[in-house]
Amino acid sequence: MKTLLPLIQKEFRSFWSSPLGWVLFAYTILMEGVCLSTAMKGLADTAIAENLVFVTFHSPNFWFFFLFLFPLITMRSFAEEEKSGTLECLLTTQIETWHLVFSKFIARILFYALLWTPGVFVFLSFGNITELPIPFIKEVLFTTHLYLFTLGAFFIALGCFASSLTSNQIIAGIVTIGLLILQYFLGFVTVIWGDQFAASDIFKLFSAQQHLTNACRGILDYAPLLLFSLLTLFTLLLTNHTVNYRRWKR
Amino acid sequence: MISAQNLTKAFGSRVAVDNLSFTVDKGDVVGFLGPNGAGKTTTIRMLTGYIPPTRGSATIAGYDIVKESKKARQQIGYMPESVPLYEDMRVSEFLKFRGKIKGLSGSHLKDRLGDVMEQCGLREVKRRLIKTLSKGFRQRVGLADALIHEPELLILDEPTNGLDPIQIRSIRSLIKDLAQERTVMVSTHILSEVELIANKVVIIDRGQIKAADKPANLVNNLRTAGSVLLETKGKIDTAPELLKALDHVKKVKDFGLKEGWNTYEVVVDAGTDARERIASLCLQENWQFRSLHRQGASLEDVFVELTRQD
Ligand SMILES: Nc1ncnc2c1ncn2[C@@H]1O[C@H](COP(=O)(O)OP(=O)(O)OP(=O)(O)O)[C@@H](O)[C@H]1O
Ligand SMILES: [Mg+2]
Repeated sequence: MKTLLPLIQKEFRSFWSSPLGWVLFAYTILMEGVCLSTAMKGLADTAIAENLVFVTFHSPNFWFFFLFLFPLITMRSFAEEEKSGTLECLLTTQIETWHLVFSKFIARILFYALLWTPGVFVFLSFGNITELPIPFIKEVLFTTHLYLFTLGAFFIALGCFASSLTSNQIIAGIVTIGLLILQYFLGFVTVIWGDQFAASDIFKLFSAQQHLTNACRGILDYAPLLLFSLLTLFTLLLTNHTVNYRRWKR
Repeated sequence: MISAQNLTKAFGSRVAVDNLSFTVDKGDVVGFLGPNGAGKTTTIRMLTGYIPPTRGSATIAGYDIVKESKKARQQIGYMPESVPLYEDMRVSEFLKFRGKIKGLSGSHLKDRLGDVMEQCGLREVKRRLIKTLSKGFRQRVGLADALIHEPELLILDEPTNGLDPIQIRSIRSLIKDLAQERTVMVSTHILSEVELIANKVVIIDRGQIKAADKPANLVNNLRTAGSVLLETKGKIDTAPELLKALDHVKKVKDFGLKEGWNTYEVVVDAGTDARERIASLCLQENWQFRSLHRQGASLEDVFVELTRQD
């Protein structure tokens, strides 16, 4: 525990000591703002029987910028340590590989959570600023962000895993976005082919966008939360093994 | 302090380290020598727990490097070959981070930070970003990092690699200071360095140990002979023959005249000294001479002899 804290601190600080953290922060605020204003315009122009949070997050716009966050957050995590040789410095002290995996993951989750806080404040101050009736209930804001967090945790774990496979951060980033886009399209399988075939339930269960859609309607379903948390854990274990394997096989 | 038994590392079918066995006692300063690709870094990585041995075992201060890896690693201050550092950190920030992950905290950490920065001459650069440091200072930061948790054993992989002669001297004297209260293992190519600081030398080549002994013993046991340089006034035609006739003289080479003085190299048997006999020969023959200098075998000769490819 004593060694985890400085490791997490170091990872978290590395976002702010390079432009990357600030750029990502600005990027998220900007893109979330674009999604929100598009949603507001949509609601103003046509009568949609959905709440504002739903219309904001239930759009290709949103998924496009959302998925691109993860390679940027995670690509450096292990690839850079391996390339610069600092991995050797870390793993020859008393710290263990899992300390490293865990602290890199936690620091990124914290950073990721921070990215969404300005947006939450924007939604919360909607009524005060526009003096219109608020077009969503607070619970929706909560469930949406809970799902964003859980899905994000899995995507970050996936990114860390991709980064542990190579010492080239660009390749790590490309693999990450590739995996995310793949899982995004797999999530659409039941939308495109319908749900008449045997495996359709499995596709539904793993469809991140369908879970987020439900969450944006205020539905709190624990099964996908549990599933994605387990997937996160599994991916982190895999990452741990990859880091060890890559150093031991050589 | 270190005891390695049949340590072996194979990368696929290529054996980088082959059945290495050696011991290093507490307080020793060991020079770890070998040509490029001999397996020095690989051996060191196994000792520091970065890669596991394919076969064999080793202990650090009694802790097995595989079974009690964490305990073993805690005993070691290690500076890797290329001195990897976090470029975006400041020197003091980096050392603080390293101290913390090595388990230091509070006022103890603060004291140690002050101590190592003083010891390694980092006071004036402590606020600088690491990426702006010169190579000499980077090396010092690496050393300070290796020292911060007061390890019993320092392992330095080519600590003076790529430094200018002034920096090499100052890093060397730093290592010499550090060696007074610790066990040190330094891998290097610079043989004069080893002669100056080490009291034990391990020479490896293509993964195998060629020698492990005190530097002086290695030099004395060397099969190649020493030689004596003799400068006489003018050329003396009979000199080679007469010199050759002396006891223990194997060969006489004539280097020719230069500014009125002629130089002969008299090759003698290992461990013998023919200077007295040569001097009396000169007096007896009435040759004028101005120097009679013995060239002992150096560690470099030992190194070349042991790692020769033929
Ligand atoms: N990760 C690796 N994968 C495959 N082969 C390796 C690996 N690391 C080292 N080797 C090989 O093992 C041998 C020993 O390398 P090592 O780096 O230990 O030598 P060294 O004595 O440190 O050399 P140098 O003086 O150049 O630093 C070399 O032939 C090298 O090519
Ligand atoms: Mg090396």
